[in-house]
Amino acid sequence: MAKKYTSMAYNSWDEMIFGTTKNPVSIGLGPVELGKGWVVPQIVPHPRPGSTDTKEKLLREYQRMTDDALGRCVALGFPALVIEFEHIYQMTSQPDWAAAIFKQAKAQMQDYYDKYGLKSALISTVADLRKPDMVHMRKSQELTWMLETFASTAENGADVLSIETMGGKEVFDWAVQRQDIRGVIFGIGVLSSRDMAWLWPQIVETAKKNNITPGGDTDCARGNTAMFLAGGYTATDLPHTFAALARACSAARSLVAYEQGATGPTKDCAYEDPIIKAITGVPITMEGVASACAHSEMQSNIVSAVADLWSNEAVEYHDMFGGSSVEVFTEILGYNVAQMNASIALGQEKVLRDINIASDKYRDVHGFMLSPDNSYEIGKAIVENIDSYYGRSKAAVLKTAELIAGDSKMQLTEFERDALDKARREVEALPDSEDEFIDQCLSDYKKVAGFDPSAYGF
Amino acid sequence: MPKSLNEVSDFSNIFTRYDIGAAVQKRGAEDVSTDKVLQAIATGVVDGDEDVVLENTNKALENNEPTKVIDTLIAGMREVSKLWDDGVYYLPQVILSSDALMVGLEKAEDAMGGKAQKKGTVVMHCAHGDIHDIGKNIAAALIRANGFKVVDLGSDVPEDEVVKAVKDNNANLVTGTALMTTTMSAFAKIAKMMKEEGMNTPFICGGGAVSEEYVTSFDLGVYADQAKQGVDMATDASSGMSWEDMRIKYNLVM
Repeated sequence: MAKKYTSMAYNSWDEMIFGTTKNPVSIGLGPVELGKGWVVPQIVPHPRPGSTDTKEKLLREYQRMTDDALGRCVALGFPALVIEFEHIYQMTSQPDWAAAIFKQAKAQMQDYYDKYGLKSALISTVADLRKPDMVHMRKSQELTWMLETFASTAENGADVLSIETMGGKEVFDWAVQRQDIRGVIFGIGVLSSRDMAWLWPQIVETAKKNNITPGGDTDCARGNTAMFLAGGYTATDLPHTFAALARACSAARSLVAYEQGATGPTKDCAYEDPIIKAITGVPITMEGVASACAHSEMQSNIVSAVADLWSNEAVEYHDMFGGSSVEVFTEILGYNVAQMNASIALGQEKVLRDINIASDKYRDVHGFMLSPDNSYEIGKAIVENIDSYYGRSKAAVLKTAELIAGDSKMQLTEFERDALDKARREVEALPDSEDEFIDQCLSDYKKVAGFDPSAYGF
Repeated sequence: MPKSLNEVSDFSNIFTRYDIGAAVQKRGAEDVSTDKVLQAIATGVVDGDEDVVLENTNKALENNEPTKVIDTLIAGMREVSKLWDDGVYYLPQVILSSDALMVGLEKAEDAMGGKAQKKGTVVMHCAHGDIHDIGKNIAAALIRANGFKVVDLGSDVPEDEVVKAVKDNNANLVTGTALMTTTMSAFAKIAKMMKEEGMNTPFICGGGAVSEEYVTSFDLGVYADQAKQGVDMATDASSGMSWEDMRIKYNLVM
């Protein structure tokens, strides 16, 4: 590992607050300073169907979306903006398309900076086109495209490189559908971590070569899949307690990016990031209320508690009464952030933080475990087992289960409690030794369609 | 002085735990057979216990026709569906049950010397350029466990391959899932290609960003917003219901 986190970045959870980090980062034009005492909005625009038919159409779509975002900032007085382009398939698979889009966006941002002094930065989130059951994770055309596109966007205006890696997805999907916590620990904690440890040094190298920032990774393909399956109070696709335990593994796994040289800003849909911030002190991007345009969640306010960037996840470009959807969501984010920064200016940031915690801590177990106090404890469990991907994942799961079961205000239905207890028993029965765990899993999960151990270096 | 969260015990104006208020009574499944061994098969399916299903399928095949055993497996799965509909079971329990059923089904089909008669054939895929397939996989497991032949084309499937598969398999139903609006545009192309070939196979479309408005904007399209609708839709299509009638039934529009 490039870096080993053997201690927490903070002495206590109460030191953690939105807008401030132990290891701030500066990016883009201005520059945009992250974690230095104020929060920054992050808009993620998404092109419409039909706009991807030709490069010219797509360029025009991105030109309009970027101009809308920057223009709304100036119209309303927002001091800074981070724009993230989450690549659609056509961008990552065609590095020259991606390069042209980023070059164009950067030029627009430069114009606004020159004319108005609007600080801005641009994130390139390359699509991980490697589906583990369809291509080999370490050698495929898809991987070649990805690496070329990291380079082409880095050379053409991106300030940050990020990704949502797919390692372990095949085993995880099989396991989550069957409420198999061992498979979840293997898929997320071991396989995804190993894939990240292999891929991230290459991303960091490309970032360094171009003097830009290696941002972060998210357990979207696994942790968020579990969260979305769990849904709200009326859904019956996955117990919420099980999704929370999967999230605990997500934290253990996402840490690998920062061990391999990523510095943040972290990836917005990594809900595990309060745990990451507690361990690493890197600036974290979170999404909550303003990401309702992309998906629903049960922790929209609490996730702002220690956020350094505030994102909308992704909004498709459409007309709305208040302007384009990109203008509207830039405005929503900008005002959310202005409120947070105003509370900092008034010395009331901890009050606002605690208000947002109170909103969601006991609404659902996902918000409960991501509450900064609980995130800190889960982070400690990870750090105490830092030497093993399996060990830290197992420890994170057990600590999360202990915290949920131990707080009487965190009400659970009988079904949810049974699911939690069952998972906890199963994890407690797992071997202590990582080698023994891996041997068992390699044998038992070889039945999972498309699982190829060699793709993870076994 | 602001209160700390530890001092707050009443959250009723912040959130309402509708799940706790509506918590479902645990209950078991009903018996489907008076025969002890056949009932054990059904119980194995309900419990998602592959070992119990396998052991009792082997026993049952000594004295019963394979078709009788298959009927029992499916009856067990019907009980599972009821438990899911009533909120007693969640999706993972249903998937485990379908896994257990498939173990027994394979044994019974071996004994028959061929595949059991299927209720119909469903071709399934994830849109061209899209690799988000967990919804499709869940639907495929449910449809398969309910007695249909599933031709799963996988993810990122070119449009012409979907049309060819529907034709080659004489499918009663075709499904497509897409997470993103930029990939769901493939569905309209598939529907157009099918119509040009004179095909009227109902085309069920669903997924994260897919909307009923979009799916009902082209002929053949019927919108599904949940994987569990797949079984009823496959049943309707296999019994000859047209895409137009399916659209009226499931989407209330024509």
